[in-house]
Amino acid sequence: MIQLSIDGREISVPEGTMVVDAAAKLGIEIPVYCYHQALGPLGACRICLVEIEKMPKLQTACTTAVREGMVVHTGGPAVEKGRQGILEFLLINHPLDCPVCDKGGECFLQDYSFWYGSGKNRFEESKIQRQKDYPVSDYILLDQERCVLCQRCIRFLGEYVGEEQLMLEGRGVHTVVSTVEGQPAHSPYAGNVIDLCPVGALLSEPYHFKARPWNIEREETVCSVCPVGCASLVTGRDGHPVRLEGRPQPDLDDYGFLCDHGRFTYDFVNHPARLEQAFLDGKPASASAAVAAVGERLARVVEKSGGGAVAVLTGAVHTVEEEWALAQFARESIGTSRLAVLKPVAGDLPLPLLGTYADLAAATGVLLLGADPYEAVPVMHLKLRAARRAHPVAVWGLGDRVLTRSTLPGEDFVAEPGQVAARLGVVLGGEALDGRWAELRRGLLETERLVVLWDGADPAAAALLAALAGQRGERPTAVLPTHGPRNWLGAVRAGISAEHAAAARILEDAAEGRLEALILLAADPLRDFPDGDLAARALERVPAVYFAGWFAPEPRHALSAMLPTAAWAEVTGTYANMEGRLQVAHGAAAAPGQARPVRSLVTALARAMGHPLRLPDFDPFQDQDGDRIARPAKQPAESAGAPARPALPPGEWRVLTGDMVAVSHPPSEIAERTREPLPLRLHPHDADELGLGAPGGLIEVAQGERRFVAGARRDARIPAGRVFIPRGLADVPANRLDHGAGVKIALADPVREEVAAP
Amino acid sequence: MSSARPDRHYLLRQRDVPDIHQLEVYRAHGGYEALKQALEANQPDQLVELAKASGLRGRGGAGFPTGMKWSFLPKDGRARVLVINADEGEPGTFKDRELIEGNPHQLIEGMIITCFAIRAPESYVYVRGEFLHGYERLTAAIREAEAAGILGAEVMGHPFAHRMFVYRGAGAYICGEETALLESLEGKRGNPRSKPPFPAVAGLYGRPTVVNNVETIMNLPPLVLKGADWYRQWGTEKSPGLKVMSVSGHVNRPGNYEVPLDWTLAELIEAAGGVRTGHQVKAVIPGGSSMPCMPASQLDTPIDYESLVEAGSMLGSGGCIVMDDSTCIVRAVARVVRFYRNESCGKCTPCREGTYWLTDIMDRLERGDGEMRDLDMLLDVSDNINGKAFCPLGDAAVGFLVSAIKHFRGEFQEHITGQRCPLGARQYDTAIH
Repeated sequence: MIQLSIDGREISVPEGTMVVDAAAKLGIEIPVYCYHQALGPLGACRICLVEIEKMPKLQTACTTAVREGMVVHTGGPAVEKGRQGILEFLLINHPLDCPVCDKGGECFLQDYSFWYGSGKNRFEESKIQRQKDYPVSDYILLDQERCVLCQRCIRFLGEYVGEEQLMLEGRGVHTVVSTVEGQPAHSPYAGNVIDLCPVGALLSEPYHFKARPWNIEREETVCSVCPVGCASLVTGRDGHPVRLEGRPQPDLDDYGFLCDHGRFTYDFVNHPARLEQAFLDGKPASASAAVAAVGERLARVVEKSGGGAVAVLTGAVHTVEEEWALAQFARESIGTSRLAVLKPVAGDLPLPLLGTYADLAAATGVLLLGADPYEAVPVMHLKLRAARRAHPVAVWGLGDRVLTRSTLPGEDFVAEPGQVAARLGVVLGGEALDGRWAELRRGLLETERLVVLWDGADPAAAALLAALAGQRGERPTAVLPTHGPRNWLGAVRAGISAEHAAAARILEDAAEGRLEALILLAADPLRDFPDGDLAARALERVPAVYFAGWFAPEPRHALSAMLPTAAWAEVTGTYANMEGRLQVAHGAAAAPGQARPVRSLVTALARAMGHPLRLPDFDPFQDQDGDRIARPAKQPAESAGAPARPALPPGEWRVLTGDMVAVSHPPSEIAERTREPLPLRLHPHDADELGLGAPGGLIEVAQGERRFVAGARRDARIPAGRVFIPRGLADVPANRLDHGAGVKIALADPVREEVAAP
Repeated sequence: MSSARPDRHYLLRQRDVPDIHQLEVYRAHGGYEALKQALEANQPDQLVELAKASGLRGRGGAGFPTGMKWSFLPKDGRARVLVINADEGEPGTFKDRELIEGNPHQLIEGMIITCFAIRAPESYVYVRGEFLHGYERLTAAIREAEAAGILGAEVMGHPFAHRMFVYRGAGAYICGEETALLESLEGKRGNPRSKPPFPAVAGLYGRPTVVNNVETIMNLPPLVLKGADWYRQWGTEKSPGLKVMSVSGHVNRPGNYEVPLDWTLAELIEAAGGVRTGHQVKAVIPGGSSMPCMPASQLDTPIDYESLVEAGSMLGSGGCIVMDDSTCIVRAVARVVRFYRNESCGKCTPCREGTYWLTDIMDRLERGDGEMRDLDMLLDVSDNINGKAFCPLGDAAVGFLVSAIKHFRGEFQEHITGQRCPLGARQYDTAIH
């Protein structure tokens, strides 16, 4: 530890700490533009000048590391003049167009000028005019005139993300930020540069000219799009969310970076497809009439056949409190124990293994088990890169396709489709492994702190992960489940089973005629349940399906009633993310139309059933492990090993599937502009053989009588002879195909498509 | 008392020996004897000690003791690199250009000796992009040395292996700053790096790196042959040796002069043939356009590092710009400030914006549109740049301006009150600069 004095106050900080951070620990704010803890020192803006005794010149606090006995003054005439000079320089070519700037009121150039500036303007020469509204991407605008050239945006994309898409162009006073070779900055993390920009240079296109700081509500929330649950701020104006920003959490070492799939989909709550109106038997109904009718029908079923004839499936996207209210309703008012979370994967994480982001930050080895974090849970990819920047981390990919990438290099082990767990079993079994696989085994067993990112697809992997943890003995093993739904761990906290078998039993009961009513809370079994055929049989057979939620599933004619509920950003409540952390999100918008919070909806339904529901107090945080949900104690390890599946006949295309948040995020008009038109992927050799051109095109995927058409492109990360279909894709439902049976792929006939189009 | 000028050249040897850029000629005149001797002695540390004992200081501008710079390399077993800064861009300085073009083998020999001393298996020369002729001469000389077994898997039969690379810059003044040079050499935008880490710890591609000037390293061969005492017969205790001074401006014989470091500015100007007949010296910038100027009253100042600092200027790279009484100092300042505006890399705020502002004010002054308050504003803006910029370019941009206002404030005032140049100097065409 290094002892130093700042403004007469002593502090001791670790060696290598910059003066600016040491001062921050004392609560002394030194102004910065270019410095950012995630990006490290640059020393370009010079606003952080401080006086250090025994040094002849002013020093930049962001590039000066602390030294024993250092005496720092962050004020005084020399420092004040230095700062005034820098601010004056920053403003001489600045257009001073704050009244029409989106960042007006949220701008550090304004704040620092107000706090530290001289308040005078001595510059009488002409200002340099530059490009305004330069499109950096579909979502980001750059005003080069307002830029202070702190290079945060360039360094973030180039160094932190590893995708060099922004650069400095020109020299001296003619220097500007631009995109590399005029190509858009298409990185899924590019939106963070809007938050990083300390001034009004980088702007959100969807938020452009939408609001002023004095007519918005900016509330703390968490992103609702994937289970990472990124801390964020939602901006509401006139009852609508109009912006999502990252929210740094210094105590969690989280800089508040988001991915663009989360940042630019907040408008889903106002999407035209949003359920805002109650429907009864396919016809619009008043909210009270619909609730009364559903309540009466449920009461009749319960009276006739008992509560067990009703089952409840939740899509686990509502708050923990609402999921808990649903569970109370199911148990108390209906009297059923058939209640489960609908997950898109069949694997169940052994909860004792549930890891944390802190585990990931400290990991020495990371196994991507079927999960491609860049596509499924993008901010986890960033967290992994941050860990690698801090210390060496070995990365292994074990899946049915390549899972590492140039921005997250590692060793890939590609298994046959459906044999990922089997492969892991062989590795853990340890017999007759050849070179690379033997190294994987050694790495997995011997790395000091192992974190597994698991996609949950292969149920057999669960026992193997427990076995792996057992074999590793005292060395910590943590698993982070990358699959959805967003708040499945929150539903677990609310007492709802998230086991695949529980949901499967409900659907089997429905398919076999043992249910008389099925209640779906934001659940879409046809789209999401891994066995789509079972879901289809269940929905056909069950006499009544009551849906409540944000987006009604297709086909809507199968739904006896549709009841709108309030969505994310419209209620204040708690969510749990994939590390089981309970996060409070505040509302900043109004629920549209007849949409109401689940708690209010279920109490109304209970009243209509004639069994008023008294919801006792509920605190999601009670009896938990800090703000993370309690984990059960570790179970003794089970034996490793799993049977390998028989090989498939050669020449058959086999289906791979995985999570892609770009496909699975809720419908968004903003994100529509970057919607992937070619979501399917083929190996380039296969694409050549098929005659699929370089830009990609439509292909037909056929299995038996089923035929689907969708856009596909080349991807060398997909092994030859396979087709990758993202989960939840409406055009090609991967859960309606038998993954073990192969499919036929052909170029789609565009003429026939046109005829077939409605 | 100034020491006598040597009877022959030790650096500008092409002045005495025609065609010494050819290996054959260079060897016929004792070339590579120093290297041979150093390799035979096989005591690299002794070479570092020799450099320290000689008092040789860096000739690129900062005047840092060369031997000490070498000894800053961490002893951690990582491969070291020598980078030669031949990006001579300082206005008024043109010594390295002549040295490379005329006597490239002495540079190569000095580099190999240095690399042997610091145990560097690779060295790089970063040549200013405009020096095409020098680049070709140096490249040809390296090929000759390779063919003769002086460079390669063995160096003159010694198992010390050495490879040498030459890289041409793309025309940026800032790349003469050593860390910007390293960035450029790595293929990146030529912006200066944060120090620490210093190049000695993490330089080219993160390796321990010594960056030395062309002229500095060319002192090594005669030093090895003749020893530190021989070298110290010239100059002063703290600034020993010979220095190639580039004399330009209003002298009768502008050019490079290899002179002892205890000469005065007057002696140097005299050696360059004096100022034009009928004119008097008005001001001298002793070390290239980034240094403060000195009025004629200070011509008795010796050119050693310490004396020039005491006199308010610096030796810098040794580019001595002589201005006689026909010079409009306002115009000269406007021209120099504009140069630094154009060459500012744009990384840091004060240099990028400040040089732009200063240029605009100076242009206005020169046009006759100045106001009296502009003078104090020029000084205040300069003060806001000076010592606050990321790298020395910011300080360099204001050195001449501040000293010119100090010594010639009256001339600035005449421009303002008379709304034109009292000397009738024509405003230079800003469109072409």
